[in-house]
Amino acid sequence: MNYVQLEKLGEGTYATVYKGRSRTTNEIVALKEIHLDAEEGTPSTAIREISLMKELKHVNIVRLYDVIHTETKLVLIFEYCERDLKKYMDVHGDRGALDPVTVRSFMYQLLKGTSFCHENRVLHRDLKPQNLLINRKGELKLGDFGLARAFGVPVNTFSNEVVTLWYRAPDVLMGSRTYNTSIDVWSCGCIFAEMISGVPLFRGRDNQDQLLHIMRIIGTPDDRVLRKIATEGQTEGQAQKQYPRYPKIPFSQVLPKASPQALDLLERLLQFDPAKRISAAEALQHPYFSTSQPMYTQPTPFTPAVIAPQYQYPQGQGQGQGQGQYQYNSQHEAARNAAAQAQLALAQPQIPGAGYGMQYPQQQYQTGTR
Amino acid sequence: MSTALYPLASLVQIEKTPSREDGIPEELELDLRAHGCKLIHEAGILLKQKQVAVATAQILFQRFWYVTSMKQFGIGDIGMGALYLASKLEECPIRMRDLINVYDELLRRDAHRLKYSTGPSSSSAHEFKYIPMSYFGSTFYDLKDALVVAEMQILKRLGFNVNVVLPYGTLVNYLRLLGLTEREDVPSKAWGYLNDALQTPVYALYAVPTIVSAAIMLATRQLGIALPSSPESCWWELFDADWEDVWSVAGYIMRLYRERTPEDHARVLSMVTKKGVRSWLEDQKPAVLLP
Ligand SMILES: Nc1ncnc2c1ncn2[C@@H]1O[C@H](COP(=O)(O)OP(=O)(O)O)[C@@H](O)[C@H]1O
Ligand SMILES: [Mg+2]
Repeated sequence: MNYVQLEKLGEGTYATVYKGRSRTTNEIVALKEIHLDAEEGTPSTAIREISLMKELKHVNIVRLYDVIHTETKLVLIFEYCERDLKKYMDVHGDRGALDPVTVRSFMYQLLKGTSFCHENRVLHRDLKPQNLLINRKGELKLGDFGLARAFGVPVNTFSNEVVTLWYRAPDVLMGSRTYNTSIDVWSCGCIFAEMISGVPLFRGRDNQDQLLHIMRIIGTPDDRVLRKIATEGQTEGQAQKQYPRYPKIPFSQVLPKASPQALDLLERLLQFDPAKRISAAEALQHPYFSTSQPMYTQPTPFTPAVIAPQYQYPQGQGQGQGQGQYQYNSQHEAARNAAAQAQLALAQPQIPGAGYGMQYPQQQYQTGTR
Repeated sequence: MSTALYPLASLVQIEKTPSREDGIPEELELDLRAHGCKLIHEAGILLKQKQVAVATAQILFQRFWYVTSMKQFGIGDIGMGALYLASKLEECPIRMRDLINVYDELLRRDAHRLKYSTGPSSSSAHEFKYIPMSYFGSTFYDLKDALVVAEMQILKRLGFNVNVVLPYGTLVNYLRLLGLTEREDVPSKAWGYLNDALQTPVYALYAVPTIVSAAIMLATRQLGIALPSSPESCWWELFDADWEDVWSVAGYIMRLYRERTPEDHARVLSMVTKKGVRSWLEDQKPAVLLP
């Protein structure tokens, strides 16, 4: 199996991602190139990403197809997605803000993918818009498992240098090393707010500043909570740290556009105390996802080139199909696909390099080295 | 991924390991595996590395020999690569330079022991003194190269199946269930057996509950404690362990304590590198009869 390397799709913290096309099947894929360093061998990010993603097969997790290991680099072959959520918001959002239907669809999928990771004892630890990928069917997929980690029962020896600052949970900012799945839930909450408003919710400059940004909105928790989290951090000095007493600002003021149910869910995701944070699986049961409010009657303020798929959200307790799979509403599927195709055709010129069949032959990969 | 090895070796891999296929007898292979694990353990101590990383390295090392022959890679190099890799996995990375220094010292000590193993027993005149190598010499670069290759080969040949489950949490649970936490000697003995088991292939062959059951069996037998083992209520069945498997794990562990002759020791020391393995295999070939 070999691939033609096409244009660059993105650059992350440790890798460059290119679009690629299989020479044998013409399938479009994403090629994530990681250079091997003579000073440190195979980067641990790559080791984690591959060993964990091989096992995680779910619609809301980007699929790892293959790994090509050469003397000088590793190339990870992933399922191709149109763009990451950050770019999606830039392109389709109203100054970044997405329409409520899309927000709900993406949020549902984000929580689905996250809860699947957690069920499989994997923490993602780096959820942020740049690491969430959207394909042309409007499916959202968790990507970039470079900081992810498998967890067993005791989870207290993690390094605390994880999760991009803006999406980092307050307990991690305070040095906690006993964190668990709740840190991903916090990030989901930050992403939720960002999809609604178009701007990141907490934009700190450094660790301490980030913590203050959080407190300025959700309020400074009481001393008991602060002390509890600081003790988990096991860092001397942190415990005595004094924080300004900020009152809580209601989320309805911060996000005036959001519905009451969206605000209620957000509230439960963004709990300062990790023990009080809702789990991803519980969040999926939240009424926000099962209101009878019609989904597709409101006109959206713009025409998305990518159509958000219509999911069967759990209607009250009436959900519970197979593990981690959601169903398409088959009645609408054909119509929606046709509409998506038509829209995509129109949208093509706007998506640089999305033209299937257009060739950018540059370099080819060969599977295996032996 | 081409060579998919699931965390536990398959029956075919167990029956005929690549090393045996190349002519290394089973007993010798087990001794070489154990020695490789001892080196990892010693390196871990010298580097003050966390025990979880050391244990993970030993398990990866054992897995590796179900997909590769010792004729192709030396137990020294692979042990070094496994410890390097496991330290990354357990988020307590070590510096390449420190690891290389430590392995250089251990391998030279082995070479020294081999040299004097056949002569009159260890006199202080032959005490091993380590002279650190130069960072600009070729030894350093050779070892560094071997380390990078070893890490990559482990990942590649194990198909990135590098998730490891350690048995200690399970042991604590089982002891509690069996009401054996009161006496201090049972937990510490069983814990010791689990650690010793890291020098055997069992973590690549059996599920954790089976291995933990074997450690509990060995500990309680040694201390003369009876556990319910009548057909209606066999304690190991509580943990979904199969008696024959438990017995087999115990067998692997017990063979570690068997007496070895000085010749056995010397042979193992001479086969730490793939070069050593190859020359030993050469020597085994039936002599060609001259006309
Ligand atoms: N499967 C994919 N399809 C399309 N674009 C992708 C894909 N994977 C990654 N990208 C793009 O490449 C960027 C960097 O990829 P990522 O996996 O996050 O690398 P890093 O670990 O270096 O941050 C992403 O933010 C995204 O824009
Ligand atoms: Mg990234």
